[in-house]
Order: sequence, then structure tokens, then C-alpha cells
Amino acid sequence: MTHKPIPDIPPKWPLRLLRFFLKDSYLEEIEGDMEEIYQENLTHFSPKRSRFLYSLEAVKLLRPSLIKHISSPTSLINASMFKHNFTIAFRHFRRYKTSFLINLMGLSTGLACFILIFLWVQDEWRMDKFHTNDAQLYQVMVDLGNGSSTSTNTAGPVGAGLVADMPEVLAAVTARTKSINSNTLSIEDTHLRAKGLFASEDFFRLFSYDLLEGTIDQTLTDIASIVISESLAQRFFGQSSDVVGKQLVLEQEHNLMITGVFKDPSRHSSLQFDYVLPFKAWSSENTWVNQWGNRHPQTFLLMDEQVDMEAFNTKIANYLSVKMGGEETENSLFAVKYSDNYLYGNYEGRTQSGGRIKYVWLFSLIAVFILLIACINFMNLSTARATRRQKEVGIKKSLGAHRFSLVMQYLSESTFITILSLLLSLFIVLFFLPEFNEITGKQLRLTWDLGLFKFLLGTVLLTGLLAGSYPAFFLSKLKPISIIKGKLNGVGGALWLRKGLVVLQFSLSIILIASVWVVYQQIQFTQTQNLGYKRDNIILFEKEGRMEDVENTQSFLAEMRRIPGVLATSTIDNTLTYSDWSINSVQWPGKSPDDRSAFELVQIDYGMIELLGMEMIAGRTFSEQFRTDSTGLIFNEAAIRLMGLEEPVGMQLDMWNGTFEIIGVVKDFHFESFHKKVKPLVMYLGDHGRYIMVKVDGQRTEQTLGQLHTLYQTSNPGFSLDYSFLDEDYAALYVAEQRVSMLSRYFAGLAILISCLGLFGLAMFTAAKRRKEMGIRKILGASAYHLVRLLSDDFTKMVLLSIFIALPISYFMARAWLEGFAFSISLQWWYFVGAGLLALLIAWLTVGLQMANATRLNLVECLREE
Amino acid sequence: MKITKIGEFEELVLMTVIVLQEEAYGVAIKKELEARLSTSISVGSIQSALKRMEGKGYLESQFGAATAKRGGKRKRIYSATQAGESVLLQMKAIRNGLWNSMPPLALDFKL
Repeated sequence: MTHKPIPDIPPKWPLRLLRFFLKDSYLEEIEGDMEEIYQENLTHFSPKRSRFLYSLEAVKLLRPSLIKHISSPTSLINASMFKHNFTIAFRHFRRYKTSFLINLMGLSTGLACFILIFLWVQDEWRMDKFHTNDAQLYQVMVDLGNGSSTSTNTAGPVGAGLVADMPEVLAAVTARTKSINSNTLSIEDTHLRAKGLFASEDFFRLFSYDLLEGTIDQTLTDIASIVISESLAQRFFGQSSDVVGKQLVLEQEHNLMITGVFKDPSRHSSLQFDYVLPFKAWSSENTWVNQWGNRHPQTFLLMDEQVDMEAFNTKIANYLSVKMGGEETENSLFAVKYSDNYLYGNYEGRTQSGGRIKYVWLFSLIAVFILLIACINFMNLSTARATRRQKEVGIKKSLGAHRFSLVMQYLSESTFITILSLLLSLFIVLFFLPEFNEITGKQLRLTWDLGLFKFLLGTVLLTGLLAGSYPAFFLSKLKPISIIKGKLNGVGGALWLRKGLVVLQFSLSIILIASVWVVYQQIQFTQTQNLGYKRDNIILFEKEGRMEDVENTQSFLAEMRRIPGVLATSTIDNTLTYSDWSINSVQWPGKSPDDRSAFELVQIDYGMIELLGMEMIAGRTFSEQFRTDSTGLIFNEAAIRLMGLEEPVGMQLDMWNGTFEIIGVVKDFHFESFHKKVKPLVMYLGDHGRYIMVKVDGQRTEQTLGQLHTLYQTSNPGFSLDYSFLDEDYAALYVAEQRVSMLSRYFAGLAILISCLGLFGLAMFTAAKRRKEMGIRKILGASAYHLVRLLSDDFTKMVLLSIFIALPISYFMARAWLEGFAFSISLQWWYFVGAGLLALLIAWLTVGLQMANATRLNLVECLREE
Repeated sequence: MKITKIGEFEELVLMTVIVLQEEAYGVAIKKELEARLSTSISVGSIQSALKRMEGKGYLESQFGAATAKRGGKRKRIYSATQAGESVLLQMKAIRNGLWNSMPPLALDFKL
């Protein structure tokens, strides 16, 4: 291989390097020295070595004391220069109001979005981390052994057992944190409803729910004690001190003594409750929970600081088996950090598989993305109209301004705009915060602390520098000669990049518009679709107090029927919103022995089917006329299909070791959300159902409810009627979807706004670039319409491209989302095409305005620009 | 008397400047020091020291003649100022003082 002959002259790049970095006044001397040394080296060494030494010397010359600008006291901090730049920037804003406002709007929207999402993410991170013992606080999880199921329901004795058997466990709490029920507490004649949980003695020791009154050791020791929250104490006594020792009654049955008052749980606590009862109060009435083989309550551990959790988890894996006397069980235990469970709550077996954290990541990504788009729009717009500032740059440069100082000027200008945008965005945030809180279900606040200030400062600097970098470097690169000669006419800069960006923004907008529409349709569908029963004007409430006694219930129902506004009333054991009890011991002729299909089991009383307006497609409903109905069953269509029965009515089958007769078949009705298919269901007669339903006359709801309240007070003294409307309960099933609907609407609007800004900028840029062309065409007789069409065609093509990209993506996304529903709408083609057409319309509007403006050119002026 | 700071290397460079008289420019200083110290020195360190001392007021300089050997670039000839000379004398006096106060070192100690 032949090498290039090594020349006798030194390499060029070291000199270029020196010329870039070193002070100009040093250059002549140093370059001369370098040359002299090189020549000398050539006499002693090979050319190759001499060149190498030359380059080495050059690099070693890069020292702080020799580099320009660092020690120069001018350029950056000169006060008069600062004032001048400020004035120039201001004049520029005033003269070109449109671009200034567009930039301001774009950036402030982007920043507002960023800040809102930041607040949300910060809040999510803080959940459950406020406990003092956070580093040592763990929760016991149960791996159910089939590789994909994990539960937080542990066996009752696990907590105490681990404390006794494992030295690493300092203390434990057994509590029912998943069943926080609403109950009535009374002191003499004051009755209040409150929510609370059962927890064992060390509850306040592990968790930081500060006790205002009472001590940690004494609050939950007595079985007849209760610890209430500050606000509950206020509601009862009007004060939160000197409350310990007072008596109150729970559910009109249990007499309890108040042993402490705790501060209301902060909004960062995933557990929200008004009172705490000792766990043994519950376990003494539910002794099955004390067995190792059963699972129900949650267990929390306070671990020693130095414990190796991996080793500990291996140790306790077989704990259950050991404690059950070596009995085989698939369940194994492991412990995870308590505060991690909020964000990382999903498990498959023993492995962590995400949870809410994926939303945190998703929204963080969206926030960064939106800010980035806003910055890029800013860049686009600033460079598009560079012609305006050419003269300024040209003059400054010919007067001797360093490129560096020009860069600094433009960077500080963009940072200034960013600061203004930030102020505007803070107003936007404050304005939208209440609504945002409603959508996300949080109570976010803009707290003016140091952390927020540092964050905002960082964001402003980063955004200002990022957004302003390209324009700054671009503008300062302009050569004075070219400007004066007039060669520049709406400078280039990668056109395909700008176009690509607009296409991207529009595709995103189209996807969002289509999604909004699909989600809206699906939600409408869930609300209007026939559920198989009529749910309007029906109220539902739970039996409590005296009502738990069946006789009392029956007489109460009879009383209710006497009220004119009450159309019907009965009892039922299901709320029609979720699957509650199921049974798999239904035996029908032809059932295969290992078929363990589950049927939803619902107990109803006379008249319930009629109350709910359900349709019977065979047979009849339960009726008092037939005494044998106590062994009668009604199945739904799905059940009959499962059993494969041809003539179900009159058939005998076995259930619960007894014989029953099918008296009717009811049309399928939805007792769960549309996410689930209708399961097989069986109804049997009985009056022990936990819920009472009342159908009221729609014309006199207020009146009737008032009368019901009064009746309830007399029939069930000490309790107030706590009911809900069936249709509201049903709507509540779709809370997550409602949120998605709201959020997607906002994001769609935002995306459209930003896309339009981007498009507007691009339109201005193109119009400026093609001025001469337009001018000539106009002279040759083109009409205004023709010109606008010409300019817009380009954009139409871009939007069509966006549609082309976006439609398949949105179709697949919609399909994937709807797959989560067992019952869904079918996707109509016009959902997507409509979105595309809407985008096109918006684009035409945006561009059209700009173009119409552009065509009103003064012909002489534009041709004169030489 | 106030002692103005001067580093060890800078002191050497300053002394070399005075020694070389009219030939005191970058390359010559470099070669002289390399010979005396028996080590190679980079152009950068020499230049750095020269500029720093010029800033402190110990040296002054002016352009000399250009030669073809330097690609037509002129040399910068350095010379010490009054301040420069006096600081050298100060340092010398301090060192002499210390040497005189030293106990007899095992200078002739042969292993």
C-alpha cells in the first residue's frame, strides 16, 4: 500500500485551532515561533515526527491565560451594550407584533402544560413517602403460586408471628386497609357518618399519622376503644382537645371510648380515614381470620435498618407452610417497601410489573414532547423571518462586533421572551388548576417554595437557550457582504426539516381528534345502551341498624309502599355494579363432572324483577301466589346457554345439596361494566338481601325522598338514610374513561393549537420566500385567488400526508382501546375521515389568512428589493 | 518589604530573559531553558509564563525583525522591567538568608 508522501509543511488544522481560540494579538508571535521550531525539528527528526510535535505544541498552547475572551472584561457585562440590546429587542417586538405574540402564545402554552404535568408527577412521587419510618416500612405480599397472581391479603396471624419469630422485624401492624367502610357514629343525639379502618396496636407507631391527643402505646390496646381524626372531633365537639375519655356509640350497637385524636391524613396518604378501631375488635367477631390458612387483612412491617431484604424474603417465603405444620400450600410470602406500592403496585408472582408508574412516565414524556414542539416552533418562526434583521446584523458586524456577542444578544433576547412566557404560563396554570385538579382527582397547588423556584429557573434557562440557540447561531452567521449586496432573500435553512415537523404536528392532532371522537362515542354508548333493566329513578341503600333484622325490614318496606311517590320497593343482594358472590356447585343434567363454571348468585325478594323492569323471556317471576317459589330459581340467558338446556322452565336441578326448580329465564342484563361480558347468573328467593331498592316517581322525587327520610328516622332511629341513585352508581363505573375523555379533549385542543402555530410560521416563511414570484405572477395577470391556491397547494399536500400517516395509527389505537370492552361500538369510517377533514379545514383557514395577507403586495416594493 | 509573588518557573523564565538580552524571544528562551534543565518544555508553558509576567509588569516586549525562517512572522523580544529586576533580587536575598541560616547539611555524605 502506498502512502501519501508526507509534505514538508506543517498541518493546517493546528493553526486554525489557535486562531479560533487564542487572543488575536498573540497570534503573530506564536505562529512564528511554531514555524521556527518546526523548521528546526525537520533538521533533527522525520517530517512525520515534526508534524506530530507541531500539533502537540498547538494543543498545549490552549491555556486559560492565552485564550481570548475569558479575561476580557468587555462584551458580556458591559452595561450600555445591555441597554442597547434591550432597546433593540423591544423595538423588534413592537414592530412585529404578530410573530412576537405567536411566539409568546406557543411558548406559554407549552410551558403551562409542562408545569401542570410536573406538579402532577411531583405529587405522585410524594405519595406515601411522608412517613418518618419510610425507609424501614414494608408490606407483606402473598404470591399465590400460579405465576401471575399476587395479593396483599395475608393471613391474620402473620404480623404477630413474624415479630415473634424473626429478629429482623421490629414491629408489625395487621389492618383492614382495603375495606374502609362508612359507618354511623353517635354521641347522644349527634349522628355522623364517617369512614374508618381496623388496625392492630402498633398502627400509630409504624405510620406517621400524628397523634394530637393520646399516646402511641395506649390508643389501640383496649378492645372497646376508638381513635378519631381531628376533623371528626371538631364535628362532634367543636374542639379537638380534651376529647380523650369521652364515649361514643358505633352503629347504635357498640359503646366505645375515645382514646386518642390524630391529625387528618395528608393528601399524600393513599389511606384516607376518619377513625381507627382496634383490629381485635373485628377479629373477635370473625375468628376465621386468626387461622393460618385463611387470608384477609393487610400486614405491615417495621424492619431493622440494617436488614438485607433479599435474604429476609428468602427466609419468609415458606413461612406459611411452616406455621401450618408443614402443610402444603402454594402461597409464599415476600415483603416490599410500603411506599413503593403506590407507583409500583402491580405484581406477577414475585416480580414487579409496573403499575401507576407507567402513567408517570407517559405524562412526563408528553410534557417534554410538548415543550420540545413549542421550542421548535419558536425556532422555526424566528429563523423564518430572518430577513427582517439582516440589516441590523450586517451593520453590527461591519462595525466590528464579534460573532460571539451577537450570539449572546439573540440568546438573551430569546431568554427574555421565555421569561415573559413563563409569567404568562403561570397565570394559565393558576387559571386551569382547579379544573385540572378535578380531572386528576388531586389537590395540586402552586406552592411558592425554593424547590419550585429552582425548577422554574432551570426550565426557563433551558427553554430559552434551546429555543434561541438555532436562531442565534443562524443569524450571527450571516456575512455582512452578502447582506449589503442584497443576496439574501428569505434565507434557507433546511426546508424539509420544517415541513417534516409540521407534518408530524398535524398527524398528532389528527390522531387526537379521532381518539376524542371514538372515546366520546363509546361513553355515549355505555350511557345510552339498554342495560337490560331500567335504572332511572331508583335509589339503593344498605341495610343497617334495625334494618338488619328481617322483620323490621319487611315492616319498613310495607310502610314505604304506603308513600304515594314510592312505586315499588324490594331487597336484593347485589348492587348491579360488580360481581359479588358466585357459586359453582350448580348441577344440571348433562353437566360434566369437572366443570366448575361459576354462576353469579343473587338473592332477591318479591317484586324486584318488576322493579328493575327486567324482561322475562320464559316462565315467570317469583310470586307470592306460589308457595314453592322458595325452591325456585331464575337463570339468565347466558346461564341457560352455558348449561345447554332446551326447555329450561320446569326443570329440576341440584344446588347446595338441595333440589330446585327453574321457574323462569330472564333476558341478559349487565350487572357489571361494559368491560366484562355478561356472566351466567342465577337468582333465588329470599329476604336477606343486603340492599334495599326503591323506585320513586320521577315527577315527585324531592317530595318522596323527603318522606322517605322521615320514615327512616322513625323506623331506624339514630341512622340517617344514606342512599345513592342507581344511574349514578352505574356512571361511576366509567370514571377512568371519563377522565381519559376529558384529558384527550384538552390534549387534542392543545395539539391543534400548537400545530396551527407551527403551520402559521411556516406559511409566513414561505410567503416571504416567494414574494418576488408572487409579484411577477400578479403583474402577468394572476388573480388573488389563483395566487392563494398556488401557495396553499403545498400545504394541502403536507396535510394530506399527515392524514395518510395518522389514520391507520389512530384506527389501530382505537381498536386496541375498544378491545378492553366486551361491549363496544363498531368503528365507523367517518370517525377517522372526519378527523382528517377537520384538520384540513383548520390548515386551510390558518394558511389562507396568512396567504391572503401576502397577496396584497405592493408590487413595486417587492420587485424593488434588490 | 512587600513580597510580590512569582512562581518558580516564572522566575527561571525571567532570569533567562535577562541572560539572553536582545535575543530574548520565545524559541530562544525555550531552547536555553531546555538545555539548562535537561528537560523538554512546551511552547505553551513558556508563552503562558511570559504573558502572565507581562501582565504583572515584570516584563515588557516589542516586535523585532521578521525572518523567512518564521514564515514572515515577526519575533517578539522581551526585556525585564525595573520591577522585574527588583523582584528577582528580592527572591535572591531571601534565599541567601535562608541558606545562611541552615545547619550544616550532609552535603558530602557519601553512601
